[in-house]
This record gives sequence, structure tokens and C-alpha cells, in this order.
Amino acid sequence: MSLFSAWEVSATGLAAQRMRVELLVQNLANSETTRTPEGGAYRRRDAIFHSEPLPASFRTLLEGRLGEPLVGVTVAEITVDESDPERRYLPGHPDADGEGYVGFPRVNPVEDMVDLTAAVRSYQANLSAMSAVKELLQRSMDLLR
Amino acid sequence: MLGPTGTLLERYLDLLAARQRVTASNIANADTPGYRAREIDFRAEMQSLLYQAVPGAPYLPITVRQSWAEGAKNDGNNVHLDREMKALSENVLRFSVASLLLQRQIRGLRNAIQEGRGG
Repeated sequence: MSLFSAWEVSATGLAAQRMRVELLVQNLANSETTRTPEGGAYRRRDAIFHSEPLPASFRTLLEGRLGEPLVGVTVAEITVDESDPERRYLPGHPDADGEGYVGFPRVNPVEDMVDLTAAVRSYQANLSAMSAVKELLQRSMDLLR
Repeated sequence: MLGPTGTLLERYLDLLAARQRVTASNIANADTPGYRAREIDFRAEMQSLLYQAVPGAPYLPITVRQSWAEGAKNDGNNVHLDREMKALSENVLRFSVASLLLQRQIRGLRNAIQEGRGG
């Protein structure tokens, strides 16, 4: 295993965090959406992370050295919130039901903003790990000079 | 050709690269529920490294163990991002020093070869 595999691990981290950010932004944008193609109010979506071993390279298999676990992260699934929409009394609204209530998505913008900040921080941490690996590779290349 | 010091430095760089991979895994999984952080016992590995410093000595694989540190979150994940970032920057510094030393060794060898050629 070379240093490049560490790079790949960080890349999986970046991809997973980006996915999380995309879903959070989607939730925030749709926090007041009452109409969706599926019908009814928007339902929030969340990414579920799962750690997954990187496929072993040919060389590690050849050397029989599999003792060192190297795990990346993937988005295992995207959960769709199935809870009932929040009912607000808005009789004049075109989406209001017979009693004058409109279903609104159960999205708490404050919660999502906090989560968004955490996701961005995690993304930055993965980027730092990547640039550290780059630094190590450059130092290795200096040996050739 | 580089002698015991060269072998030692080479294995040291290997150890640092292994730690880099472990740290990268931990950082990537900082938000994965149930993930347990992995770590390398640096002191123990360094000691076994010193025994391996003889040229041609068998290569002992580096053991990675699970960290039993208390997690800060309630989802079973015990990665501490600050600790990992510290390991990351420490690794880069150690790697720079070791590769610089190795570079000097190689340069010394090259100088010896060139002097021999010139004479």
C-alpha cells in the first residue's frame, strides 16, 4: 500500500461530506415547499454514512499484507423523513385542505445550519489530510534530487 | 548500501506513511456512526523498528489497533478530529526531517562516488 491509498480514503471522505452538504442545502431550500412531484409537502432527506474498506490493490494481495485496515466512507443510503408534515392553519392557501390546514415540511433550518457547519468542517479536515499526503509525497520526491 | 541508518530511516518513513493512512481513515470516518478510531502504538513500533535496523532484517508488519478512547458523540464513534489533525501535522514534520536525513545520506554516497571517479 502506498501513500496514494491514503489519498483515496480522503477522497471518499470528501465525496461523502459533499453529498451531505448537498442534501442539507436541499432541505434548507425546500423548508417551505408545499408542492412536490411526489405530492404533498417536501420531506427532508439525510445521508447515512457507512465505513467501507477500500478495495485492496494488487500489490497488497500479492504481498499477503492485509493486516492494515484502510477504510473509506460511503453514503450507504439516503433516508426520507416519513413523519407527518407540520400542519399550519392558512385557509387562503391554495394547498389548504378542507379544514384550512396546509402541510409544511418538517425541516428545522437552525438544526440544518448547525449540521451544515459541521459538514463543512469535516470537508476541510479531509482536504487537510489530502494536502498532508501531498506534502509527504513531495518530500519523497525530494529524495531523487 | 546506505547502512543501518539508511535502513532505519527507510522503515521510519514506512511507519509514518502507515500512520498517515490510519489518520486519513479516521478523518474520513469522523461522522460515521459506530466507527471506532484506529491508531498505531508509535513508541512500540519505534522500538521494534530499532531491532529491524540491520540491513536484510525481516520486515515486520505494523500493527494497527482500535482506539479505546471515549467518544464525544453518542453514536458509538470515537474519532477526535483535533487529535487526528495533530497526528497529521506531526506526521508531516517527522516525515520532512526523516526524508531530509535520508537525502543527506544519499548525497554523501553520491559525493563519495564522484570523488572516486575524479581521482
